Amino acid sequence: MSENMEELLEDFIYWQARVNGRLQDAEIHPAMSLLDLLRDELRLTGTHMGCMTGHCGACTVLIDGKVAKSCITPAASVQGKSVTTLEGLASDGDPHPVQQAFAEESGFQCGYCAPGMVLTTAELLAKTTDPSDEEIQQALAGNLCRCTGYQSILRAVRKAAARLAD
Amino acid sequence: MSLRVQYARPRSLDQAAELLGGLTSGAVIIAGGQELMPHLNYGRLAPSVLVDISNLNELRGIQATDSGVAIGALCVHRDIQHDALVSERAPLLAFAASQVGGGWQVQNRGTIGGNIVAMHPLYDIAPPLLALEATVEIRDQQDTRSTSLAALIADPAKQLGGAAVITQVLVPTMAAESGWAYEKLQLTAGSYGSANAAAVVTLDGNHKLASIRLVVGAVAEQPLDVSEQLGDLTGKDAETALAGVGSICEQAVTEPLSDQQGDGEYRRAMAGVIGRRAVAAAIARIMSPGEER
Amino acid sequence: MADPTAAPYVGGKVANQSGAAVSSGQAKYTADFEFHGQLHAHIVRSPHAAADILGVDTSDALKVAGVVMAMDGREAAEHLDPIPHYIDAAVFGGRTTDVRCLALDAVRHYGQPVAVVVAADKRTAQYAASRVRVSYKRREAVVDAHDALKPDAPRVIPDWDANLIMQVPFIGGDAEQAFKDADKIVRTRINIHRQSTQPIETRVYNAVWDLQEQRITLYATAQNPHPLRYVLAKTLRMPENRVRIVAPTTGGAFGLKMHGHPEEALMCLLARLTGLPVKWVESREECLLVGGREQSHEVELALRKDGRILGLRDRFVANTGAPTACPGWGMAFLTGLTMPGPYDIANVDVLMSAAVTNKPPWNASRGYGKEATALALELSLDRAARELDMDPAELRCQNFVQPEDFPKKTPTGLILDSGDYGTTVRKTLEVIDYEGWRAKQAELRDAGRYLGIGIAYELTPEGGSLPGTMVAGYDSSTVQADPSGTITVITGVTNPGTGNPTGIAQIVADELGVPIDTIRVVQGDTETCPYGFGNYSGRSTIVGGGAAALAAQEIKEKVIKVAAGLMETTEDSIQIAGGLVTSSENPDARLSFADVCYAAYTRAYDVAACIEPPLQATRTFRPGLISHAPDEEGKINPYPSYSNAAYATVCEVDIETGKVTLLRFAVTHDCGKVINPILVEGQACGAIAFGVGGMLGEQILHDAEGHQLTNDFINYTMPRAADVPAIDVAHHDSPNPVTYMGMKGAGEAGVGGSAAAVVNAVNDALAPFGVEITDLPVSAPRVWAAIRAARAQPKRKVA
Repeated sequence: MSENMEELLEDFIYWQARVNGRLQDAEIHPAMSLLDLLRDELRLTGTHMGCMTGHCGACTVLIDGKVAKSCITPAASVQGKSVTTLEGLASDGDPHPVQQAFAEESGFQCGYCAPGMVLTTAELLAKTTDPSDEEIQQALAGNLCRCTGYQSILRAVRKAAARLAD
Repeated sequence: MSLRVQYARPRSLDQAAELLGGLTSGAVIIAGGQELMPHLNYGRLAPSVLVDISNLNELRGIQATDSGVAIGALCVHRDIQHDALVSERAPLLAFAASQVGGGWQVQNRGTIGGNIVAMHPLYDIAPPLLALEATVEIRDQQDTRSTSLAALIADPAKQLGGAAVITQVLVPTMAAESGWAYEKLQLTAGSYGSANAAAVVTLDGNHKLASIRLVVGAVAEQPLDVSEQLGDLTGKDAETALAGVGSICEQAVTEPLSDQQGDGEYRRAMAGVIGRRAVAAAIARIMSPGEER
Repeated sequence: MADPTAAPYVGGKVANQSGAAVSSGQAKYTADFEFHGQLHAHIVRSPHAAADILGVDTSDALKVAGVVMAMDGREAAEHLDPIPHYIDAAVFGGRTTDVRCLALDAVRHYGQPVAVVVAADKRTAQYAASRVRVSYKRREAVVDAHDALKPDAPRVIPDWDANLIMQVPFIGGDAEQAFKDADKIVRTRINIHRQSTQPIETRVYNAVWDLQEQRITLYATAQNPHPLRYVLAKTLRMPENRVRIVAPTTGGAFGLKMHGHPEEALMCLLARLTGLPVKWVESREECLLVGGREQSHEVELALRKDGRILGLRDRFVANTGAPTACPGWGMAFLTGLTMPGPYDIANVDVLMSAAVTNKPPWNASRGYGKEATALALELSLDRAARELDMDPAELRCQNFVQPEDFPKKTPTGLILDSGDYGTTVRKTLEVIDYEGWRAKQAELRDAGRYLGIGIAYELTPEGGSLPGTMVAGYDSSTVQADPSGTITVITGVTNPGTGNPTGIAQIVADELGVPIDTIRVVQGDTETCPYGFGNYSGRSTIVGGGAAALAAQEIKEKVIKVAAGLMETTEDSIQIAGGLVTSSENPDARLSFADVCYAAYTRAYDVAACIEPPLQATRTFRPGLISHAPDEEGKINPYPSYSNAAYATVCEVDIETGKVTLLRFAVTHDCGKVINPILVEGQACGAIAFGVGGMLGEQILHDAEGHQLTNDFINYTMPRAADVPAIDVAHHDSPNPVTYMGMKGAGEAGVGGSAAAVVNAVNDALAPFGVEITDLPVSAPRVWAAIRAARAQPKRKVA
């Protein structure tokens, strides 16, 4: 291998991105997940570990405004992008209407699945404020909740939708 | 397993190809990470080098070609399902991309290239691409070449080796008069498919089957293209043809998968049911084009 | 005491008070705690179900930079005693064995902890753990419970004479005679498969050693902090007062976070030895090792031809996996004890066999065995209804314990507090529009579509107390009115994620007459909270809330005394509402609750001399009805409350694929007084999702050698939003005479009733094929296979 190719290889990555509006940096292991970076390096613990295989959705964040599972997103691949976690969804200290609806309707019980439920709903309602129940269920397909049986979650989504439609 | 993993982020496709060509075994290409990260997280995969191609803009974008549409390997499922060009020229693929499991989160990050390279028998993208007779463009240190997806799936080691990158997927435009469908049987909403099927059919003026492409997935290690076996059904009226689909699909499943999505017997039977339903839905799309399925 | 029914909060839809924190990502779960010098542990687990350990070599692991410690079972045993059993079978005359944190000489199940590595970061710990070399000599594993009970089966525990924790008969009346008198005997074999509760938050332990105090603090996903403290003190050979447990916000528990797990004491030991905090976060793969519910029943009903059930027999075998210190095996006991459920069957002969095998151990699973009683009974009753050609609802109503029979002593010794089961069923049928669906079913059948309607009942003893164990029936709460007028409630019950602090706050707010937002409920710290038993058995609001009510009443008396002095009026004239203190005798005198509180603290020698300061009271709620003194037949009643509910569901079966789609669900729930419909309905719907998931998708599989095949959420498919239909929840509250305001438990009920309703609906849909599935789950492949088998048979009865 040529020398300039050798130079491409790094043991650690100097990582930089905007997280919840703030420019953050860290030195990270190449195989590190975005979840571990957020939780262990940046101490943003509002994003939760549930399975590390991308099935439960508790680790959901927004990357450039779109939902992603941070446990199966390589931290390295979000270099220079904008990441929003559940902590960062509020604007100027005011909760996002979706957060407010989930709080008011108790759209959770233990709350561990909230990152996936709230952030996916935010993305859904950015597209339509009149989703059918089937559309809501489809949108939430990447998220597991073990407590609610989904009834209160659907109520919260409907309430947030109604509020955003006004 | 080793603790040390090196990382490289080539700045161009040329550089990526040169780098991969120069590395010995143990290099793994990473893009969206949706397939790879679970294995890395659990320590089941220990590459010596991760080659991150996620910022190679040459692998992005969806473009019209003379015969169809060229989809960059880094295009994610969500882009594909909402893309106007794909929806127009290859609506089967656009729909199948919306059926990829894992929710919007995975559809926002998972790439078409990664989905193909994973060669996972339960994934959703290969069957429609095979039904559409897609080709893939592959780049390595020596050259850029095209190969049919079927050939790639039949022998990935030969086609890709350890040092090649899929750059784009070329999907021919579907005939305007064709009917299509992608059917997927999931045991529950969180399950991977127990069987899936992608169908493209055309009928002649007398509602007789003029052509048929059908690929059944999630029932065997590789998707099964049964189009040739179905050839005898062409020329028959739609209903008669349909009655013959199921058993042909079943017979094609010589070595069924057996896992928590169902045992071998079930998978073989479901190949028949889901294959037939896909063809039926494809025919229905022609017969009553206005109706939403 | 204020009239609680007139009060503003109790009974109201008060939103879960943690809503703002949860939805903004501020709730702090156990894994969110990180301490200076934090180390991380990774556990090496057995790849075999049964093997002797010939040697453990940690030397390569110790060579990895960043590794602080590596330890095998022999070394651990030098520091740690066996883990005390949560429910020791020996107390009840069963077999027991030592359970160690790390396997000593042999492994008894796949995934058993064999060694542990501690390192500066989790990636290093994981890598180093892969370099621990263990040599095993494999032994024959016993995986199936019936195989395990054969005389020549290999022994899971070599010095046991049988692979059996214990065999318990539950007998009442004269079953033999009942079966002689019967017009019809209906036999049903029911196999319930292994499932796992799988909270989305896995288990986490973070142990911090305090050198000065020689004290360990364990931050833990623990349902029962104080009892865990006792267990850790024993295991760690430490004084109990030098062990502290902190249980932060919990991301679901469902029994899985009841203690006895090896990693609890192990992390404490590692922290003590390294002098640094040591954290372990369970992976999903590890979490899936914890199982439950696998039982096979052979039920016989002795029936009169009019449908009256004269007798019940059940021989059932539980595959509890390898022995554990966790309380899982007790589920099988409760299955037997809860027979014959809500039915008035005088003659009962049930034999429970709790077998051990080389599968990974059980832990408590929401329902705690009572869900199995419901499945066994409800599937049997549906078969009986089919064989007698009776309506399933009618058959049930005919055999229920009647409202006038309460308190009703059951043949197994339980004393049912209250209920109106027949009305509950009828209400449910109305809510779901039973007749309407029956008509639709007939109509669609003609079109080749197969709808099914299933009903089921569940009786759920809740709030239990087992003598000689840390399963206690009572609990304690402290209520403190602070000098500024805020209220701090400190309670021994904990919150697994159900929202019980909101319910407790409602109760206290009403008792004191103060706004609910002035109340804060503190839980889950053994150095802050009164001694308590945490959460299990649907007890937290009954006993934690009941104790808080008693304490609040005491505080209110003091506040009234001080207020009367301040306002120069009589105590009887004082009213407190909305945080304002007024007197009917002196309408001009108004004080804020806070003013009175301040005076109570600061004027101990004049107006507040009449009370004992401070404004703090700790009280215990010990519900009645529980009786641990054996009756003449040696039977006890370990429960104060018997919540119950009727479930109904409608499904459509795709007969080509076997796939079951649920169209509708309804439940009528009797949990006595409803403190908060949001919380109660949340519990009910959550339990239904458990029942639905357990029957349609969830199944833990092992191969013939005992290797676990279900290791991730690809294969363990719990219900998602689209899998759970719209659920209508109705209430039919018959108050419990022995609890505060008539509450019954609401946290545990519903898994079995909803599961049975699903199965009964599927079988109802498949009746035209003569198909009846009682070998669970009713997953699509099984339903498909059953239809195919029925169609292959020449002629079977068509209903």
